[in-house]
Amino acid sequence: MLTLTKDRALALALLLIVAVMWRESGSIAPPTSWQPYGSALFPRILLVVIGVFSLLILVRSLLVKVPERAGAKQLIHEWFQSRRTILALFLLFGLYAALLPVVGYIVATIGFLVASLALLMGVNTRRKWMINLTLSCTLAIVIFVVFRYGLNVWLP
Amino acid sequence: MTNFFLQALAEVGTPSVLGLIFIGVLFGIVGGSIPGFTVTMAILVVFPFTFAMDPVSGVSLMVGVFVGGYSGGIVSGVMLGIPGTPSSITTVYDGYPMAQKGEPGRALGIGVASSFLGTLISVAVLVFFGPLIASFSMNFRPWEITALIVFALTLVAGLSSGALLKGLMAAALGLLITTVGYDRNSNLRFDFGLPALGSGFEILPVMIGIFAFSQLLGNIEKIKDEKSEAKKIDTNVTIPYGQILKDMTGQKLNILRSSLIGSLVGALPGTGGTVANFLSYDQAKKFSRHPEEFGTGTPSGIVASEASNSAVAGGAFVPTLALGIPGDLPMAIMMGVLILHGITPGPMMFEQNPVLVGAIYASLLIGAVVMVICNLLLVRWFAKISLIPQQILVPVVLMLCAIGAYALNNNLFDIWVLFIFGIIGYLLWKAKVPLTPLILGVVLGDNLERQLFRALELNESWMTFLTRPLSALFLALAIASILFSLYQDRKIQRLKGL
Repeated sequence: MLTLTKDRALALALLLIVAVMWRESGSIAPPTSWQPYGSALFPRILLVVIGVFSLLILVRSLLVKVPERAGAKQLIHEWFQSRRTILALFLLFGLYAALLPVVGYIVATIGFLVASLALLMGVNTRRKWMINLTLSCTLAIVIFVVFRYGLNVWLP
Repeated sequence: MTNFFLQALAEVGTPSVLGLIFIGVLFGIVGGSIPGFTVTMAILVVFPFTFAMDPVSGVSLMVGVFVGGYSGGIVSGVMLGIPGTPSSITTVYDGYPMAQKGEPGRALGIGVASSFLGTLISVAVLVFFGPLIASFSMNFRPWEITALIVFALTLVAGLSSGALLKGLMAAALGLLITTVGYDRNSNLRFDFGLPALGSGFEILPVMIGIFAFSQLLGNIEKIKDEKSEAKKIDTNVTIPYGQILKDMTGQKLNILRSSLIGSLVGALPGTGGTVANFLSYDQAKKFSRHPEEFGTGTPSGIVASEASNSAVAGGAFVPTLALGIPGDLPMAIMMGVLILHGITPGPMMFEQNPVLVGAIYASLLIGAVVMVICNLLLVRWFAKISLIPQQILVPVVLMLCAIGAYALNNNLFDIWVLFIFGIIGYLLWKAKVPLTPLILGVVLGDNLERQLFRALELNESWMTFLTRPLSALFLALAIASILFSLYQDRKIQRLKGL
């Protein structure tokens, strides 16, 4: 069985994207009588270019010998395991984006900063908690004041 | 042009704009001082604050960050032995040993003075060559502009350190991102039934997402991989002005050569400060009477490194302003700032917005003076700031990125765009796909499509691209740059195999 490498995963993902977008490009309006080429031409040229390069990346990755490793499922599991902090940070950012319109800028920002600082710095000492809370509250409020009153930018 | 420059100087000379340049330089130095933060990140963080400003104020602030950022690497390079930005790697070679010998003030002073002179010389290059190239490129028609953009993209992709295929693919992917939403004929493309996609993606959240997430999360991974010890530094630095004056007097040729190398490299697409840095350090060593002293704390090494990386600032503005083609990542973002303020960089800018062009020159000059003052007076503070841990920096910058993306149009969808492209950027970065061609594709995509179709509407035949001499030349150069990169890749592979 073939081992899943970064290049192979990249090429396969891109080929999938190309296939989906090529199909979607079929719904773009055709050119009118006064247009020599339609709106689908430019993205289709790019899709062909990306498709060809993805295929070349795939072929090149198949020509390189890689040591036998665990199956794709196991590798993906290991990849997720070793990047728990990064994934948690992405999750926190997603939550922040979702909560921003619901609870407003100040609460959502303080929540995001406290949670992500706790995740990265740890919360094993009182000092770390103090730094975390002081920084989160001060920064959220200072940024709000600068944008709202200094730059006249409305924040939710 | 002199009239416009004086008019621009008057606009830039107002207390509010001077204050913005000061803030920009200060933030740039701070950004450049913190290892792993980089000039590009500093520019991205400051970018949203320019939304509510008039073009001169916004551009002056950004130019300040640019000038400060390129000089900011000196502090951490000399005091910590860690380059604050990739463009100050060779500063460490001689700056850190000099500091270790008990002369940190001398190393910092030489670095700051060289940065200042490098910036000044690069502004002179910009003032001379910018209008010259712009007036030449006024004759470019859609065929030439299309071919020039293709050439710039292949050049940047080809310089993506041994990843030509991925670089080219990334550039095409960047261009594809710009095709989402309504096009010039009001036809909807790739909206997948989602009304929010109808207006396409804003450049800013896409750029921030792709670049900032990959870099910040990469920094977090590095911390996890290498448990670094907490560095302790002596921030009690005194600058020996007399000694520095003596050092600099003997470096005239080195300053001029390194600044010209920096300006030239800055003007080439896809190169930037890091290449200029190594190239001028290497040349300074070759021309030196005492090459054996390089790497042991010689002033010549610091001068070569800092004069060249600061000279990139002025040089990089040449293709951006004169051709509308940014040479590197910070310039791509700078171009985004100009577009956001309703200004299209390119040859017409010198005719349509001469005051703004003059404001850029003036901001670069004033920024260089402010940079010297800030660096010399606040050096011990910058040294302390450079120790801010990434664990604190990353959440704060991510939050600022989110607010910046939102503030662009007061649209929460832009935060989601930032998030999605953050994930895409991180995954591409993990797959070793160079991100600079991708971002350049995003910045140039609209113009490329517009010019291509204008050319095809004027003449349906694709052969016109080959029959017009300049267009054919740019396309030939594009192919040559790909072939050269292939040759380089093969050479590297052969050397690896030995």
